[in-house]
Amino acid sequence: MSKESAELELQVRNVTVGYPNGNIALRDATFHLSAGCICALVGINGSGKSTLFKAVMGFVRPIRGEVLISGQPVKTALKRNQVAYVPQSEEVDWSFPVSVWDVVLMGRYGYMNFLRISRAEDRRIAAESLSRVGMLEFRERQIGELSGGQRKRVFLARALAQRSRVILLDEPFTGVDVKTEGTIIELLRELRAAGHIILVSTHNLGSVPEFCDQVVLVNRTVLAFGPTVEIFTEANLARAFGGTLRHFRFDESTVQKHDGRSVTVLTDEERPLVFGKGGHLEYGQRAGRESVVEQRAEPEDGP
Amino acid sequence: MIDTLLLPFQYEYMLKAICVSGLIGGVCAFLSCFVTLKGWSLMGDALSHSVVPGVAVAYQLDWPFAAGAFVTGLLAALGMGFVKTKTRLREDAVIGVVFTSFFALGLLLISLFPARVDLRSIVFGNILGISDPDILQVLIISGVTLVVLGLKWNDLKLFCFDPNQARALGINTTVLHFTLLTLLSATAVAALQTVGACLVVAMLVTPGATAYLLTDRFGIMIGIAVSMGIGSSLAGAYVSYFFDGSTGGCIVTLQSALFVLALVFGPKHGLLAARAKRRAAFLA
Amino acid sequence: MESLLEPFQYPFMIRAMIVGIAIGAVCAVLSCFLVLKGWSLMGDAISHAVLPGIVGAYALQIPLAIGAIASGLFCALATGYIKAHSRVKEDTVMGVVFTGLFAFGLVLFTKVKSDLHLDHILFGNILGLDPTDLRDTLVVGGLSLAVILLLRRDLLLFCFDPGHAQTLGLRTDFLYYLLLSLLAVTIVVSLKAVGIILVVAMLVTPGCIAYLLTDRFNRMLWIATGSAVFSSFFGVYLSFLINAATSSCIVLTQALIFLAALAFAPRHGLLRRRKGLGAEPASIPDSGS
Repeated sequence: MSKESAELELQVRNVTVGYPNGNIALRDATFHLSAGCICALVGINGSGKSTLFKAVMGFVRPIRGEVLISGQPVKTALKRNQVAYVPQSEEVDWSFPVSVWDVVLMGRYGYMNFLRISRAEDRRIAAESLSRVGMLEFRERQIGELSGGQRKRVFLARALAQRSRVILLDEPFTGVDVKTEGTIIELLRELRAAGHIILVSTHNLGSVPEFCDQVVLVNRTVLAFGPTVEIFTEANLARAFGGTLRHFRFDESTVQKHDGRSVTVLTDEERPLVFGKGGHLEYGQRAGRESVVEQRAEPEDGP
Repeated sequence: MIDTLLLPFQYEYMLKAICVSGLIGGVCAFLSCFVTLKGWSLMGDALSHSVVPGVAVAYQLDWPFAAGAFVTGLLAALGMGFVKTKTRLREDAVIGVVFTSFFALGLLLISLFPARVDLRSIVFGNILGISDPDILQVLIISGVTLVVLGLKWNDLKLFCFDPNQARALGINTTVLHFTLLTLLSATAVAALQTVGACLVVAMLVTPGATAYLLTDRFGIMIGIAVSMGIGSSLAGAYVSYFFDGSTGGCIVTLQSALFVLALVFGPKHGLLAARAKRRAAFLA
Repeated sequence: MESLLEPFQYPFMIRAMIVGIAIGAVCAVLSCFLVLKGWSLMGDAISHAVLPGIVGAYALQIPLAIGAIASGLFCALATGYIKAHSRVKEDTVMGVVFTGLFAFGLVLFTKVKSDLHLDHILFGNILGLDPTDLRDTLVVGGLSLAVILLLRRDLLLFCFDPGHAQTLGLRTDFLYYLLLSLLAVTIVVSLKAVGIILVVAMLVTPGCIAYLLTDRFNRMLWIATGSAVFSSFFGVYLSFLINAATSSCIVLTQALIFLAALAFAPRHGLLRRRKGLGAEPASIPDSGS
């Protein structure tokens, strides 16, 4: 087992993927990850992020380049149950007539015989995976009867049951409560410690530095990849997000008494709502709001 | 040779059939632009099968067949809408259940009262034997459809594109919804005469889909679809003289052939254009 | 009393019931997958599209079933290809393709001198089956039923989450073609009995009935099969009594069961919903399990 984990790595080399209508979705994407990491795949919608994701899972065939898992083509890796996948909540038909238990057992199909009849071993692992995400007591529920966070945990349990070395999660935090988000992150850290490669596709920038040690920035190609601290720079993010990223620079805002050190808040979807120390609203631009700045300056200076 | 080719024009019934087919083809093609953009293609299929019990009852009671057809067509549409909103079944499944039930009911009625209705003329159409009162009904249906589409064209276009915006503008979208459904049922009845229940959907879908492959402008799309609908119907009805009178088969085969041509050779969205684009992008 | 038992005295009635029940069962099991996969109208498309294959096979003197399966599969593949390579919506593509094939079949039919009855292909002739038809139906229907049931777990996963099936290394393209082929074979088997148009009902309605009544797949299979078998039996029987078209009696019985399920289903039915007790996902207390 330890020998295998030493060899585990994910290599994406010069992958170019085209749409059927002739447009190129992704060009010359290259990055590699080695065992024991949580990597975020970051990019805006339409950046080719999900295409790259699909290429890693072997769902789309690149017109050029290759994806290797421990030196093997994806197809071989899939046969060996090396890749697990947690889909976006929107992609799942929640009224499908399957129970939580059925879903988790599906994670064991790759180990079962051709008729997919579960053995005691499969049931034991499925139960263990379910209890690891705290969902064992819900095993008889139909999947639509669960809350957003519970649903996500069930699919995570399915990935655990699959015992794969590479786990891909697509937008794991959308529609998920804060508690589940914590559970998921905790679990991902455990898996990292056990030497898995975890690839998380997300557009939620804020959560990335919290739990991802590696980042791949995507915009029609791989712009940059490497450790989060090196890659997550303002300049790189501006390249990845183009004009769509929102800035909130404190040194230009109406925030009082900043000490000259500049803090910039970046978000990709919404403008951040920022409150001052006194609980009052802050505005992004000083210009035109001089009166607000003055007005607020006084009470703070008082005591 | 020439004599053989001109033979169909010597018969009054052939001339009638060719003209009526052309008219129906044009009207259906006009409507098909809205149908394909709205994503109602299968609704056309469903309605054309659902009118069968109405036709059977109408013949039995000596009503104009269009009246009966119309009633059951709308009933089916309402039924589908009702079941879809009340259950978690997917729309396609609901359509499948409802239209086959109506069609089965039609067959049951026909088998119970066999003398009055000819099943074959419902399923395959019988344009070559169309009677004058039936032609009158077709003319009325076509006239009304063209007038409504002509007057409400912009509303319907907006309704197909963005129903919420239409609602926000104070347009009554429920009325538009049922207008379009009504027109669909009415033209389905007219098309039933020419090509029969199984192929009505082709008349209501193929011209629109073909035009959609060729242009990005709504006005041009309607122009292409209507000319294609009229042209293929005239030609198909004419050719059917040499094919044992299988008018529906001939018209729809022609339309499908045109669709394939547009699919392959379309200047912007065709397969060859896409391949050229892919190659260019690959080399770039 | 005697007149009620009369239908059972005729061998052709017994044959019709056996064939009806066999076809009903195969179609019902398949319909569960189709309804869940969102392929309900694929049955409609393929059932029309087999016509040119049947006529062509007759002209070439090869078994009709082979021609039918070939053109049915062609329809499905062409639909998939055009959808992937053009901007036309899937339902529209399907409408264009299957009507095109059906129309071509009609034109071909006028040029092939045959003793095929178009009416029998379209509406079925379940009362006119001979013992060989009975044997063929049972063998082929039994085979496809066996394949579906043996591979039901893979097929279910394929319907539920094809992405996951692929990461497990399952051959999803194989499952895709398998399901299509099973559909085409089942349609061909059913043609003689119920005809092109009403086989669609048998491929959709039982699955819908079952889906309204339960949230578990295995139960769905049983309910669908049960309702289809009952409908076939009762439909054939009823058609004898009232002297009406048999296939439409079968389909209408199914339709009535569907209506009953729609109204009275324990969790998803209309009456249940009206009382305000309908299923509210995610708000059911934990003690429920």
